[in-house]
Amino acid sequence: MTLLDIVLFLPLVAFIVILALPKTLSRTLALATSMGIFIVSLGLLAPFLGKPTSAVSFETNLIWIQSPAIRYHISLDGLGLWLLLLSTMLTPLCVLISWNYITDRVKEYYAFLLLLEFGVIGVFVSMDLFLFYVFWEVTLVPMYFLIGIWGHDRRIYATVKFFLYTMAGSVLMLAAILYLYSRAGTFDYPMILQLLSSGRLQLTAAEQLPLFLAFFIAFAIKVPLFPLHTWLPDAHVEAPTAGSVMLASVMLKMGTYGIVRFCLPMFGNAAHQCAPVIIALAIIGIIYGALVALVQPNMKKLVAYSSVSHLGFVVLGIFTFTQQGMDGAVYQMLNHGISTGALFMLVGFLYERNHSLEIKSYGGVANVAPVLSVIFMVTTLASIGLPVLNNFVGEFLVLQGAAIVSWKYAALAGLGVIFSACYMLWLYQRAFFGEAGEGVRHHITDINKRELLAIAPLVILMVWMGTGTSLFLKPITAVNAQILEQSKINVEYQVKAPPAPSAEPAPATTAAVVEVARAR
Amino acid sequence: MNQFYTPTDHFSLLPALLLALFGCAILMLDFFVLPHPRQKRWLIFFALLGEFFAGLALYRQYRFLEDQSIPALRAFSDGLIIDGFSIFFNAIFVAAAVLVAIISYRYLEVEGEHHGEFYGLILLAQCGMYFLASGTELVTIFIGIELMAVTFYILVGFLRSDRRSNEAAMKYLLLGAFSSGFLAYGFSLLYAITGSTRLPKIAAELAQRPATDPLLLLAIVTTLVGLLFKVGAAPFHMWAPDAYEGAPTPVTAYLSVASKAASVAVLVRLFLGTLAPHRINWEPMLAVAVVLSLTIGNFSALSQTNLKRLLAFSSISHAGYILLGLIAGNRTGLTGICIYLFVYTFMNTGAFLVLISLRQKGMTGDDIDDLNGLIHRSPGHALLMALFLLSLGGIPPTAGFIAKYYIFLSLVETGHYALAITAALFVAVSIYYYFRIVRAMFLNEAGQLLPALPGWGARVGFAVTALATLAIGLYPEPIIRFAGTSLLR
Amino acid sequence: MLDTIFFYVFALLTIGGAIATITRRSAMHSALSLIVSLLGVAGLYLLQKAEFLFAVQIVLYIGGIMVLFLFVIMLVNLDQAAKERQFNRQWLLGLVASVLVGAQMVWMLNSAGVLSLPAAVPAPAATGPGNIEALADLLFREYLLPFEVASLLLLVAIVGSVMMAKKTS
Repeated sequence: MTLLDIVLFLPLVAFIVILALPKTLSRTLALATSMGIFIVSLGLLAPFLGKPTSAVSFETNLIWIQSPAIRYHISLDGLGLWLLLLSTMLTPLCVLISWNYITDRVKEYYAFLLLLEFGVIGVFVSMDLFLFYVFWEVTLVPMYFLIGIWGHDRRIYATVKFFLYTMAGSVLMLAAILYLYSRAGTFDYPMILQLLSSGRLQLTAAEQLPLFLAFFIAFAIKVPLFPLHTWLPDAHVEAPTAGSVMLASVMLKMGTYGIVRFCLPMFGNAAHQCAPVIIALAIIGIIYGALVALVQPNMKKLVAYSSVSHLGFVVLGIFTFTQQGMDGAVYQMLNHGISTGALFMLVGFLYERNHSLEIKSYGGVANVAPVLSVIFMVTTLASIGLPVLNNFVGEFLVLQGAAIVSWKYAALAGLGVIFSACYMLWLYQRAFFGEAGEGVRHHITDINKRELLAIAPLVILMVWMGTGTSLFLKPITAVNAQILEQSKINVEYQVKAPPAPSAEPAPATTAAVVEVARAR
Repeated sequence: MNQFYTPTDHFSLLPALLLALFGCAILMLDFFVLPHPRQKRWLIFFALLGEFFAGLALYRQYRFLEDQSIPALRAFSDGLIIDGFSIFFNAIFVAAAVLVAIISYRYLEVEGEHHGEFYGLILLAQCGMYFLASGTELVTIFIGIELMAVTFYILVGFLRSDRRSNEAAMKYLLLGAFSSGFLAYGFSLLYAITGSTRLPKIAAELAQRPATDPLLLLAIVTTLVGLLFKVGAAPFHMWAPDAYEGAPTPVTAYLSVASKAASVAVLVRLFLGTLAPHRINWEPMLAVAVVLSLTIGNFSALSQTNLKRLLAFSSISHAGYILLGLIAGNRTGLTGICIYLFVYTFMNTGAFLVLISLRQKGMTGDDIDDLNGLIHRSPGHALLMALFLLSLGGIPPTAGFIAKYYIFLSLVETGHYALAITAALFVAVSIYYYFRIVRAMFLNEAGQLLPALPGWGARVGFAVTALATLAIGLYPEPIIRFAGTSLLR
Repeated sequence: MLDTIFFYVFALLTIGGAIATITRRSAMHSALSLIVSLLGVAGLYLLQKAEFLFAVQIVLYIGGIMVLFLFVIMLVNLDQAAKERQFNRQWLLGLVASVLVGAQMVWMLNSAGVLSLPAAVPAPAATGPGNIEALADLLFREYLLPFEVASLLLLVAIVGSVMMAKKTS
């Protein structure tokens, strides 16, 4: 039992404890346990800090189901590490921002929040495809309820749409996982990679493309990549603040994480083949998201569409297949999680005070709530990629990667950066400057200590990640380099003459091959 | 053939004998010893005693096979077979019958139709199922099917003062008799072709016949039609929604679970055993039936407002998933069928159990709207229902997911990719209507129903079904192994 | 020779009874004609040396089911129905359909070579146990199990009908 097992299962324990104890305790309990989990999870940093290592740590590999062998195989590397920490950090913050906002069915709310944390952590550490799928689905259920029960007016529509979109994508992924199993004889992901790299498992072009698409579409829906993004604005607008934060900061990252973790190493061939189309979609997403955000009258919707735009950057970075692009993409995942999470929190603060998400019902907030305005400004600047703040690093790296492939990509994506400055600053101008209206003067008060406590870590991280980049980037770079290498191995097969199939008896459909691979 | 009724015969027949004995005894006790309505609930314990002894006899069969390490025990000169497969299915029937027996009494009391016959009939129906799971002779199988079906006609119409129940029984009877005709025709053709009613002999004869034999094709078509009807697969599903809706809810649960499982057992034995060499003939037909079941079941369920009807359509689609395992037909597929039926027994009975607990005087609790805001009124019930629905939808980590996973895996293994993808997409459709119920329970404003009042039977039923649904999902190993030992061979 | 005469007598009884069954206006007459027709069938069975079927036909159909029919007819007032026009207007359609089905059957049997039967072989003289004994042997040995289970089936059917018929309290 490693530290990772503990971090993974603590939220589940907390979930059960919260359900079991009376609801007057739920709130405190949720805060205490989620804080505890975060502190424990900091211990996971130890093997990674500042070391450019692509090695995995905290590995646990147990048999869960004998036949066909499904393993409880979890481990952590530089890619999952930061996303995991992001999730464990955001959960207590989400408890904090829901402190007074959630008054209805408190117990269930916090229980679901911790169940969500459990699922998300599971997604980031699973090294068995089957286990990964299980966790992937587990995250859906609490989010369905978080939006559906505690959301705004059109919550039911939004939550059903969210659920169906993701479900439709993920069942295809399940089919692909099963197909992979039938070819490789195992669900174990490192094992599959080993089989692929040793050439014992060869996926033909005709196999790779559908498999890649099945995985990719499931992930792309989650990201969401244009044109599969339509569930996102609805879900965000209707979700309670904490739901939006978890959704934007963590759950969307499950999609991009999946692409990096699974799509590239396993189906490098198909990924390279599809890259132009995907890059085109990503760029369309960047520009489309930004343009739509520009005309949104609703703050939350604006932030939601900005997410579409930002995640376009991530996808673009991944499919440049360059070290810079990939690093930027992964870094951008974290950045987006922090800055957009912060934006959703701030919008949530405003909503709690004024009960409106319309931009036009604000204006002059800076006059009555100076501290809130400053924090909002910092977050806005971070979000549009001001140097010294976190997003700059990520976007810069992505653009660099894109430029290596083609200057056109970089130029078009750069357009998105400019647009993002437009809509964010315009939002800020409309909401915070000018004369404070009647409603604003009556309802808006400055940020309180609890809220400050919730948002401060994010602001600190914005600056820290903008300046102390290397600390965060080192483990990521190492893993990315490895993934790039793996995705190339696959490509070389296509370039070289494919090895004669008769040389070896039908590869990889039997357990025997797995044994051989294991022996190696 | 010289020995008349050997000890082996007796041993292999024992569970059915016990069931028949207790079934008849309950009918008599009901009449002579416990005539007062208040005493009827003692009959439950008697029924449970019968199930206990039947279960014990099954266990002894299981031990016997294990100890002797023989794959199967044949009796009645190839008329009955005791193998892992039959034991597995009979275990399902025992589980289903026990669950139905303990959850019925309150429902029947509310309906004012608490008669002792009910428990007797449940045991007798199970007796019929026994011959479906273990019979290897066409006449035995046919009589078994009829015994089960006739019992269900009565059980479906058990609420005599309820017009819907009467209508359901009538429809079920007419269509059921029709399908039995098909089945009898198919069986008689099989006899005509091979000159035997015993499956091993039929298999030996058929193996030598060309696949293009029109008579054989006719036999396969009619047999398949008859059995698909019993399974409740499209396009022979018309009886299911009406029968499910009209029947007393415990009977609906029994019908959807045990009767389906029993018919699937026959399908498996016939089509993966006897008719396996002629797969080329029946596979396309079965595939069409499966796709139709998935399509009709899922799409019709989308628009239902009555819960029992919705679950009826969903059970049609589940029949589709189960038959997919038959199409795959390999080891995984067979394991998948077994696990699916086992899991289905618990999750579906559980879902119906929630409806049963909601049944009150003057309130049926059958409409989706009746569940509105259930989380406020009876949070426990709402959570349990959500669990069962998640499982029915096949969302991990519930047992339903493991079941679907096996079916999909078997399809992929045997290269039925198109079917696998179709089935996978229909999972998403099914999620929609299952979540309509979840939505009503959790997200809609509270309705006017009173909180549910589960009796002791319902409590035990909930505990068993929920535990099974969760435990199999989290640690499916034992049941996979059990199903694995039950494979036909 | 005697066989042939008997055959035609029984066949005539069968067909004549059947025609009378559907053409008589009085339900009672129809039922009685049906008995005649079934009697003819029973005779045909006997000619085929199927004594068991012959007995079953008489005991079950004529003895049991037909008496039930007569009871029902007598209990239910059918005078009104008897006065009404008995044939509906679709007899032409019915005729066409039955002719078509008949033609199809003949064609199928013909193409399968069934119509050109080999010359009739006289039935072998009865040796050893007769038809009924053989049947008993089969029923109580080979098919003992389904035979016994069938009794359960009947029991269930009786319980069911009693339940359905019982007055609701």
